[in-house]
Amino acid sequence: MTAPKKVWEYRTLITNLAMRDLRSRYKKSVLGWLWSLINPATTLAIYTVVFGVFLGVEAPVAGNGHSKLFALYLFSALVAWNSFASGVNIAMQSFLAAGGLLTRTYFPPEVPVIAGSLTVLTQTAVETVILIVFMAIIGNLGWTTLIVFPILLLLTAFAFGIGMIVSLLNVRYRDVAYLVALGIQVLFYATPIVYSEDIAAKHPWAADLLKLNPMTHFVGAMRHSVYLLKAPTLLNWVAMILATTIMTLLGWRVFSTKAPRYIEEI
Amino acid sequence: MAGSIEVRGVSKEFRLQADRPTSIKEFVTRRGRDKTATHFWALDDVSIDIPEGSMYALVGHNGSGKSTLLRCIAGIYRPDTGHVKASGRISTLLELGAGFHPDLSGRENVYLNATILGMTKKQIDAKFDEIVDFAGVEQFIDSPVKVYSSGMYVRLGFSVAVHVQPEILIIDEVIAVGDEQFQRKCFDHLYGLRRQGVTIVVVTHGMGTVETMCDGAAWLDHGVLQMEGPAIEVAAAYLKKVNDAEAEDRASHRTVSATSGATTESVDGPGEIEILAIEVRDASGAPTTTVEHGEGMQIAIVYRAHTALEDLVFGHAIHTDNGVLVAGTNTQRHGLETGRVEPGLGEALFVIDECPLIEGHYEVTGAINDRHVQHTFDRRDRETRLLVRRGTTRAGVGVVDIAGDWKVRPPQQGLTVLPAPPEEF
Repeated sequence: MTAPKKVWEYRTLITNLAMRDLRSRYKKSVLGWLWSLINPATTLAIYTVVFGVFLGVEAPVAGNGHSKLFALYLFSALVAWNSFASGVNIAMQSFLAAGGLLTRTYFPPEVPVIAGSLTVLTQTAVETVILIVFMAIIGNLGWTTLIVFPILLLLTAFAFGIGMIVSLLNVRYRDVAYLVALGIQVLFYATPIVYSEDIAAKHPWAADLLKLNPMTHFVGAMRHSVYLLKAPTLLNWVAMILATTIMTLLGWRVFSTKAPRYIEEI
Repeated sequence: MAGSIEVRGVSKEFRLQADRPTSIKEFVTRRGRDKTATHFWALDDVSIDIPEGSMYALVGHNGSGKSTLLRCIAGIYRPDTGHVKASGRISTLLELGAGFHPDLSGRENVYLNATILGMTKKQIDAKFDEIVDFAGVEQFIDSPVKVYSSGMYVRLGFSVAVHVQPEILIIDEVIAVGDEQFQRKCFDHLYGLRRQGVTIVVVTHGMGTVETMCDGAAWLDHGVLQMEGPAIEVAAAYLKKVNDAEAEDRASHRTVSATSGATTESVDGPGEIEILAIEVRDASGAPTTTVEHGEGMQIAIVYRAHTALEDLVFGHAIHTDNGVLVAGTNTQRHGLETGRVEPGLGEALFVIDECPLIEGHYEVTGAINDRHVQHTFDRRDRETRLLVRRGTTRAGVGVVDIAGDWKVRPPQQGLTVLPAPPEEF
């Protein structure tokens, strides 16, 4: 197993790899960095129109006591969701992409995956800042707003843990990429993002099932702290910390014992 | 001890791609199949010791496991059995521009590549100018590396690899990509590093490099260690094996072509005498096409005379494969009277004690003329090919080795600078 200490020695490389990805990502595109805002903005617009306007899903009253904006209610959940979905995907991509390097020079195989997570974290940070700016505009800020930072850090680690496992499997079985894409799509609707937990509560079995999904708790905690301006529930905290701890430890263990062999197959 | 490498009983098995299920469907349907047939051992129980501060070569033909061994030493591959102990900071240069991102500039890539090799930003800042200067790419350092030529690519890659202050430097055959001048610069630099105590492991096909630069060498064949020891001995043994194998190969070809019965056309001979073959033979007189530099050899003109002839002149010439005449002579120039030749089969032999030709491809010509060298009875122009191999004796460069001895006089009284002789032409 690779010791975290060993990986820490390569911290310069981690940041350099992350910087490389960020720098080269929008090279040769006219809009450049704007793309990282256009994509989530478009998703947000589509969901707002389809679910908020056409289907008439209503947002609860925000923490300031008067606003009731479905778009922001949705945005606070989407920030968390995007972080998770991109986190899992980037792990697969960056491990595959680093294959060429890993067969030519030695460095711990965790390094590119961590670097990938860092790029996602950067993107998430940008989206979070925009979210908070919007919340400030409607006057919906409170001390709980600060809780989004630990939540998103936990979420990044959670996605990193899952990402390490699927990125290994993806090297051996190329079905995994398709399965993951499918799984993420299913999970999106199995998480209260475009609807609220209260709606699901009309079907008791569904509400119970939702509680088994760790993402329900991440998204719920986000909405509590940034939209409703309430502290996340104890259940949210327990589920988030437990899920993150288990997935990170498991992912690290599996990855660091198996990756050296899998590299030869990339 | 920093810089020493210990390889003990290392074996590495690879699966052939066909064996591995790449989808879950295959995984289910292919279970329980015999897998032993599709595995092979890239390295089989290899043990070597590379002392600190030495330059060490891995030799062997393609696919012999050299690169796999390098990767095991570098820690990229994990051996299946045995272990590798390489203490100290390892820098690798295994492939052309490994770690270079085509869209990023040379500057960004230097930083990235150097951090992969374990340097911190501060250390790179301090070495940056030196790296760029050595590679000679100052003008292009802010252009994306995808516009670099392959030479610039390898120069920059090499420059980074040698400037990261490694204790162990591992280099695959990449240096061969650079031009002559850069290669020399590389080797000079490697030499300097070795003097500073850096352990250098190289894979190379250039036996000259092995003999002149390396202390030790290991020869691998199909993953099995054939020989380990002083570089000169290993290089000589390896070369001998390669030459023998080639001679055998040529011999088997020869028997095939002999039976196909190629007919000969005479140049302008009326058919009184014809050349059946121009042969290259080894010192013992056995036909060959491969000769080692410094070994004995013979050139034979095999003829059939149809009538009795007198005072023939036999001649031979050797050309390089790009048409430069190296040497040529005939029986008349050697003052040899050939006398009367009766009808029948005969041969004229030119015996060379030590082949002065330097490794390369040559073509042999043979001819039979009348006594005035006016009329050519038969001639075979550059039809016989000769391959000269680097032998165990050291040769200079060029086409032939000029025999001579060096005498170097230390500064002393009585030595004066003589005026240059007058130009005569």
